[in-house]
Amino acid sequence: MAEESSRPNGSDEPSAAEAKPKAGDDPDNGVSRRKLLITGVGVMSGAIAATVGVPAIFYVAGPAQEAGGEQDWIRIGSASSIETGTQTLMKATVERRAGYLTTTEELSVFVSTENGADFVALSNICTHLGCRVRWVDEQDGFFCPCHNAIFGPDGAVLQGPPPRPLDRFDTKVEDGQIFVRKI
Amino acid sequence: MATKLGNWLNERSGWRAAYTAVFLRKIPKINWAYTLGSATLFAMIIQIVTGILLTLYYVPDPQLAYASVSYITNELPFGWLIRGLHHWGASAMVLLVVLHMVRVIMYGAYKYPREFTWITGVALLLLTFSFGFTGYLLPWDQRAYWATVVGTQIGEVTPVVGDTLRAVMLGGEEISGLTLSRFYGAHVWVLPSVLLLLVGIHIYLVIRNGITSVPKRGE
Repeated sequence: MAEESSRPNGSDEPSAAEAKPKAGDDPDNGVSRRKLLITGVGVMSGAIAATVGVPAIFYVAGPAQEAGGEQDWIRIGSASSIETGTQTLMKATVERRAGYLTTTEELSVFVSTENGADFVALSNICTHLGCRVRWVDEQDGFFCPCHNAIFGPDGAVLQGPPPRPLDRFDTKVEDGQIFVRKI
Repeated sequence: MATKLGNWLNERSGWRAAYTAVFLRKIPKINWAYTLGSATLFAMIIQIVTGILLTLYYVPDPQLAYASVSYITNELPFGWLIRGLHHWGASAMVLLVVLHMVRVIMYGAYKYPREFTWITGVALLLLTFSFGFTGYLLPWDQRAYWATVVGTQIGEVTPVVGDTLRAVMLGGEEISGLTLSRFYGAHVWVLPSVLLLLVGIHIYLVIRNGITSVPKRGE
């Protein structure tokens, strides 16, 4: 304990009245020079740590914030190329950016229309295990070759193991071009 | 509350004795030149923190290195700050370490009983240069490439082992992806391991032996 009593904690020091005033010690003031310096160093260290630490939080979280508004309209082709009452497979290349890497992905969509104005866009990926479905005229539906599943023209499951209908896309037409967007 | 917690911890770790030995040790009357060692240590801590942050995004791949650096600098929030601190901190390290050494020479602080402190210090100086050299290649731009060409050609003129030395440094005859990954490995794993060990010894010796006073006339 003798060793401990020499530590620079204000309360452990002999009272200012007893001790011979040393240079830098103000006997009238409770704050010793040592305590002031220690506090000063502490405050400055904290400020420096915050200068690096706070930006570091934003730096680390950066890519997570980018990921937000990603569902953009994708142009997949001209509306005039679609005949009323048929299913047309249309393809688009989608660019995906993750930081400094850009990857391309093929997007395939069955597009149909009843009146030439309103379009329905269905994904060609089976909701069961991700195989590609194709349109079969004789069955009036989409056929998945993996487990013989059949989806109706509106995407509803008619036969087989798929748990839900084919995924739908939002559609819009601008200047004769069809755009789709993931819902 | 804080005092109580401190006491509780002290009883189980004796941290106050360590704190006293490190921060409250007796020193002679000295001047500002004596802060250069601490300044170097501080710059080193900045380098470690910003360096670790940079590894979150940087990839040592010849196809992607430049793109990842560019992403850090131009697109990430505060990426410019983290990279900037690391970039300028590297120069600060070299500058401070040399000034620190000049002070030690001027004051004769390398003499008995501090010869071993001096030896570890020289190793730390070379280590700092190695950090600078390996780190310079990592942005993988033209300046990085040609600096490494020049640097390794300097190594090549070493008598007898020169050719081998250059080939080992580059991981082949030319600068390639192998050079980039081994410079990266050296920069973030090999050199820091040695650095922390040596800095630990260096600081232990400074505390154990105490620091020199400013020499008087005739000393």
